[in-house]
Amino acid sequence: MLWGGLQQRQANANSLIAIIPIAIAAVPIYYYRHGQPQVDFHFALFLVLGAVVGAYLGARSLKYIPDRQLKLGVAVLILVLGVKYVVLP
Amino acid sequence: MSWADVVTVLAGFVGGLLSGSLGIGGGQAFIPIMTIGFRFPQSLAQGTSLAAIVPTALAGGLTHLREGNVVLRAALWMGGGGVVGAVLGALLAVEIPGSILSRLFGVFLIFNAWRLFAAARRDGAAPHKAG
Repeated sequence: MLWGGLQQRQANANSLIAIIPIAIAAVPIYYYRHGQPQVDFHFALFLVLGAVVGAYLGARSLKYIPDRQLKLGVAVLILVLGVKYVVLP
Repeated sequence: MSWADVVTVLAGFVGGLLSGSLGIGGGQAFIPIMTIGFRFPQSLAQGTSLAAIVPTALAGGLTHLREGNVVLRAALWMGGGGVVGAVLGALLAVEIPGSILSRLFGVFLIFNAWRLFAAARRDGAAPHKAG
């Protein structure tokens, strides 16, 4: 998003593409590095089943959603969660 | 398929929707669902979230690619640089105590909340933005 000249939609799209090699690099470390694997593939599978549909609809609906209200709503939610993690880890 | 699996699919749907539309990392939705909803330790939640993000980002990213929204060169540079940080971050995350990891994640969420507030304010200042 901070890349000069990129529009919001392009920044979102680029972030999604960029996260792929990042996540692929990190997963084996979480799985092998610790004594007990820190990846639950059963849970991940069911998350993915919902998330793939959600991501597809989210990317397609970008032109139609009330962007500002959604951002504000999610920002409040993330803020509350963030304070919870800091105060009650 | 248990009720927990059904709830997980629904949680994944919400995470994917936010990821695909707002471009926020799916992990910001996935990890709280796992730690608060399913009592996962922070490290396990983060590892599991990363595993779930790969196919999710592929689905959202390929849709964007088809719609011509991706500047591939910028994305590849970001991803390439991010890999180095991801390896270092993952090595650190599996070693440090869970309570510290949770607090760091909380700070990350607060920072992203601030970024989203700022983005929403910009949208408010320029209601006729392109796109």
